[in-house]
Amino acid sequence: MQQSAKECGKPLVRIRGLRFRRGERWIFDGLDIDIPRDRITAIMGPSGTGKTTLLKLIGGQLVPDEGTVEVDGQNVHALSTAELYRLRMRMGMLFQSGALLTDLSVFDNVAFPLREHTRLTESMIRKLVLLKLEAVGLRGARDLMPSQLSGGMARRVALARAIALDPMMIMYDEPFTGQDPISMGVLVQLIRQLNDAAHLTSILVSHDVAETLQIADQVYVISDGRVVESGSPEELGEGGSDWTRQFINGLPDGPVPFHYPAPALSDDLLEGARC
Amino acid sequence: MLNLFASLGAWGMASLTRLGRAHLLLFPLVRGLLDILRRPRLLVDQLFSVGVLTILIIAVAGLFVGMVLGLQGYNVLSRFGGETALGFMVAASLVRELGPVLTALLFAGRAGSALTAEIGLMKATEQLSGLEMMAVNPEHRVLAPRFFAGLISVPLLAAIFSCLGVLGGWMVGGGLLGVDQAAFWNGMQEGIDFHDDVINGVIKSVVFGFVCTWIAVFQGYDCVPTSEGVSRATTRTVVHSSLAVLGLDFVLTALMFG
Repeated sequence: MQQSAKECGKPLVRIRGLRFRRGERWIFDGLDIDIPRDRITAIMGPSGTGKTTLLKLIGGQLVPDEGTVEVDGQNVHALSTAELYRLRMRMGMLFQSGALLTDLSVFDNVAFPLREHTRLTESMIRKLVLLKLEAVGLRGARDLMPSQLSGGMARRVALARAIALDPMMIMYDEPFTGQDPISMGVLVQLIRQLNDAAHLTSILVSHDVAETLQIADQVYVISDGRVVESGSPEELGEGGSDWTRQFINGLPDGPVPFHYPAPALSDDLLEGARC
Repeated sequence: MLNLFASLGAWGMASLTRLGRAHLLLFPLVRGLLDILRRPRLLVDQLFSVGVLTILIIAVAGLFVGMVLGLQGYNVLSRFGGETALGFMVAASLVRELGPVLTALLFAGRAGSALTAEIGLMKATEQLSGLEMMAVNPEHRVLAPRFFAGLISVPLLAAIFSCLGVLGGWMVGGGLLGVDQAAFWNGMQEGIDFHDDVINGVIKSVVFGFVCTWIAVFQGYDCVPTSEGVSRATTRTVVHSSLAVLGLDFVLTALMFG
């Protein structure tokens, strides 16, 4: 009998030799990443390293120049459009902006994937939507429009929508950016609880170090198109490279210098005096 | 000099690439018809926002254009004692030319620009990406209903424009300037040919509706997803649609009446 990928204990997402460029610049240059099942894997790195691009590559919204991205044993970029859409129904994604449909209410936004992909009755959809909204603490906000929500509430509604179809994995794109401490704490707790309660696989892209390390089971740090460090949050804190320690601890100076490359200050000042 | 040629070449290539992308978009738009047939509500909602909300500006514009035609036509025709042909002149001008052309221009300014801005903002706020990740094709779900709503709306709006234009011409000619009312309506009835005038006018408005809505949804979908990008796309929609309508009007007129 053929064993399923899950039974074999294979990672849910397997990225090998990924190369992707925008214009002349290589965003990824031979990236290898394994995302284990039922865990929270954080992808971290400085701004502009292509963390969001990586999520789009996993979701099949972008096509790599080389390499493969396998999700649940399926090569994402070798699938037909219909197969890709079937796979996406098992994925959820939380966009940085929430990406709620602005002409629909909170209730209708969460009901949207259920109405699109299932033949459930409206009464069943109502019950499911209320349960999903209850899970993110916004059952009472079901009649509000997206324009009436705060940034944190919008992300929680987007999270309820992302789990509407009970996906196998969720990708979070910078979920903590621009959140006040309370909203951030709520989101941190929700991501962990949802992952554990629903046995989800979570990919968390962020550069909010403290919050991410608080809930991540495994961390990949990427820079210059490659994985520069990986391991558990504890391993990263203890034995990482100088660069990783600077990134994790938010040190202003180190391998990434505080000063933009320039001639010596005294030379610059003296040159000004000579003019 | 060499730089000038290089820039021209790059511009030409970019324009051709965009034109290619615009043509490729037609396939998913047509395929989106299946989604619309399955859920007609998508089309009905868009017919309201694209068509019904444009009726007022079309009606008012049609009425005024008809009134001006009545006034100007009377001034010219009365010199030759041909006031009785006023009805025919007003109706022919509206049904053959002004109805389809001005409706399309007004549609591009009112509904086309709104379509581009709406789709562009949906792109800028990642709503279209969100749909893709929810396994919903935005070309079928968002673009196609808007495209077919425009295609259906423009001929109907052109008919409203022409009807109200004739009414405006009659109000000025028959009501204010004293043209014989029986002659006004008889001249119109005898002079207007259903096939040569009405059908050709409808064909024009269908073509203009197709082009204006196609340009609007493409510009929104293809825009740079920033506030400046959306703004530029909206401007391009109005400019490209207006020029396309005027250019196509000449071609169609030459084919139909030339």
